[in-house]
Amino acid sequence: MMLESLSMILIALGTVFFIAGTVGLLRFPDIYCRLHALTKADGLGLALIALGVALLADSMGEVFRIILIWFFVAVASATCGHLIARYERRSGEGPSYD
Amino acid sequence: MQETASDRSDAAAPDRRGTNAPVPPHTPDPPMPSRWRLFTIKALVLGAIWAVLTDFRADAWVFGLPAVLAGAGLVFLMPAAPAWRLSPQGALVFALWFSVQSVRGAVDVSRRAFSPRMPLRPGFRRYPIALPSGAPRVMFLNTITLLPGTLAAEQAGDAVMVHMLDTRADLDKDLGALERRIAALFALSLEAETSP
Repeated sequence: MMLESLSMILIALGTVFFIAGTVGLLRFPDIYCRLHALTKADGLGLALIALGVALLADSMGEVFRIILIWFFVAVASATCGHLIARYERRSGEGPSYD
Repeated sequence: MQETASDRSDAAAPDRRGTNAPVPPHTPDPPMPSRWRLFTIKALVLGAIWAVLTDFRADAWVFGLPAVLAGAGLVFLMPAAPAWRLSPQGALVFALWFSVQSVRGAVDVSRRAFSPRMPLRPGFRRYPIALPSGAPRVMFLNTITLLPGTLAAEQAGDAVMVHMLDTRADLDKDLGALERRIAALFALSLEAETSP
């Protein structure tokens, strides 16, 4: 019971960060600022949801799979953010703030 | 499919391309690990992950074995990277510090996103990297993005162009701290890198 409510709180909090990432994506002025919102806020949102779901998992195998999913998404999101920013810089289309 | 994979590992033993002539870099890089050793380690790690993912089902290896061998075989296509080792204590300290920092980063950017005034003063800063190339540098570039207000946008030689949400923040202090922590994680000393 305790565990379930803790899990619900974590999942709800994770959702708040996903919403924050989406609000940033919509409101921030340029592509680089939007990448900040997506890599950081969504990353924490996923970590919180993964933690909440892992608390309700039935077996250690499931917990391990959830950890793997979180780990690979975290690494991929930082790398993708870097690649998108680099492409934008090399194409010369993004703002240069001068 | 599996025959070609086992072919490769049989023909392997005499071939040793890992002992290439050393190119003298500015710092004494650690020796290049043998490709076949790397292949074995990667195959074992990938195999263990596959086993757990599939709940140790024997029939799942029909897909798992070719995928593991192909994945580990990528070490022969990639350029050789210098060897590295992790300090266990450094890894624990780093993981804790990094969790706190990534929560701070997410809270910071969420606050800016929800704030009606949306306080942003974005811009780029150049930061010279002191860490040696290879795994420590990749780690550095990936973690910059999760720190509050910074994003690794482009690597230019021995420097990284960092995008900042607020250019008034002290970039050198924050990234210097991150570099020192990654150096501790990989059991490196940064002083040797920066002094010459």
